[in-house]
Amino acid sequence: MISLKALTKNKFKSLLIFSSITIAVMAIFLISSVSQGIIGMYSKMIKTDGDIIITQKGISDTFFSNVDILLMDKIEKIEHVSSSYAMIVGASPIGHIPIAGIYGTTTNHFSHYKLSSGEYPKKSEVILGTNIAKQFATSNINIGNREFKISGTYSSEIGFEEGGVVMNIEDAGKLFNRSASFILVSSDSPNEIDEIIKKISALDSEIEVKTTQNFVKEYNQFKIIENSSFVISFLAFTMGLMGIASVMSMIVNSRKEEFGIMRALGKSRLFIIKNLFFETLVMSVSAYLFALVLSLGILALLPHIEMLQGYVNGTLSLQISLYVLFSTILMALFGSLIPAWIASKTDPILLINQGCA
Amino acid sequence: MIKVSNISHFYGVEQVLYDLSFEIKSGEFLFLSGESGSGKSTLLSILSTLLKPSKGELLIDGESVEEISNIDYFRQSKIGFVFQFHYLINYLSVYENIALAALEDKKQNINKVLGELGIADLSSRYPNEISGGQRQRVAVARALINEPKIIFADEPTGSLDSKNSAIVYGLLQNAAKKGTTVVVASHDMQIEDYATQIIRLKDGQIL
Repeated sequence: MISLKALTKNKFKSLLIFSSITIAVMAIFLISSVSQGIIGMYSKMIKTDGDIIITQKGISDTFFSNVDILLMDKIEKIEHVSSSYAMIVGASPIGHIPIAGIYGTTTNHFSHYKLSSGEYPKKSEVILGTNIAKQFATSNINIGNREFKISGTYSSEIGFEEGGVVMNIEDAGKLFNRSASFILVSSDSPNEIDEIIKKISALDSEIEVKTTQNFVKEYNQFKIIENSSFVISFLAFTMGLMGIASVMSMIVNSRKEEFGIMRALGKSRLFIIKNLFFETLVMSVSAYLFALVLSLGILALLPHIEMLQGYVNGTLSLQISLYVLFSTILMALFGSLIPAWIASKTDPILLINQGCA
Repeated sequence: MIKVSNISHFYGVEQVLYDLSFEIKSGEFLFLSGESGSGKSTLLSILSTLLKPSKGELLIDGESVEEISNIDYFRQSKIGFVFQFHYLINYLSVYENIALAALEDKKQNINKVLGELGIADLSSRYPNEISGGQRQRVAVARALINEPKIIFADEPTGSLDSKNSAIVYGLLQNAAKKGTTVVVASHDMQIEDYATQIIRLKDGQIL
């Protein structure tokens, strides 16, 4: 009760702590959500339509991988392989847009992209994702010094694809000078996956064959995104912690007399520490809830911001929410630890010395 | 109630109290007088267990202060304080200020004490909503709430006019009459009219 009254009494300083926690928590929320969103989108793109992925051996990024598309013929003859398709993923300036994703795929994969208008692309034609289509009113677009006719538009649940361009794999091969970035293989028998992987691996010594599940788990780009997200979150956490510590120090300093009174009245040091912890905790949990609402709002807005072309998408899972709540409570405890300790050591003699004649 | 034996105190190398010994009995109203720098605030701090003396022994209610294991509880249950500037917590109401000092089993007496001091109607008001004299009466109520054995008052009327000073001294005198030992450090010679024992300090020594 005293803690809550103290919070309302020190409105400005409480607001400073509340703001610094809100900003730090929002930063952690957003960076974690966006990175998980990006990982989720790319994982979904790879996992949705295949059980096995074939990439170039020793190349850690699908953007740089080059696999011979002719392998598909041999792969489809392997027992329990139901289908396969090849894909080139790349990025290039498209018209006035500085960078956008380009997906070159074999025609048997076109149905993955739901046509909203027009028809699937033939040679020198492209279809545009819903997000990027909003930015082009023309019938042709330039990609890498080549002109392509826009044959239609498509929609996709995956933000990356919504902001990208799809063309046939031969055109993409000429643009990016490769045969295929990867080949995805589906099987009609989940129990035979390991056997199929062995057989595909034997076809070419220059390829790496994995289940899509394992690929996603081990993909270096995801690890980089996760590590970067962790570092930024940690920095935001530290900034929040420093914010709490510095404002709490100011609060403790301005309330020395009050702590002196409590000590003189026989209140223990633990009583003062507990009260200050509780004050910070109340502010932190309120700031957490506020930041959660703001972050949900921002994440809901992100896919609708044309400039971002749907590439920045966030997923706010229960796991992230709990992780951030835990970080917030840690921030509150560590941020108020030293100021609360200092406050508890306030010497009540100061009350006599201040009043002494 | 209080037995002071050969107490000396130093701040660094500077000695401020010199081998003081005296006793204060239960129900005494002790006036601790002296000029600025005489050592009365230091002595008051030592007597009230806020400061540990450099030398000597202090017994309160038969217990050596050095040997008390929970000094916070001891202070809360046996000692009441009244300071010059009342030192009420501004964001707590009069009632809450007293409740903060009260032991759990004494909280039920808050309204009774406020009534006895004639400030029952101020219960829900905040310190900045009442006068200086009323604040000091609340401070006295806070000091009395746990029915302490001793009340220490440091310049309790330093910021009050003579009328309010007389009220505060009257309240402290009443407490002494009920058996509470009252120790007041002050410049105000008006207090001599209420005191039953006077200790005059000069340069850290009893005159």
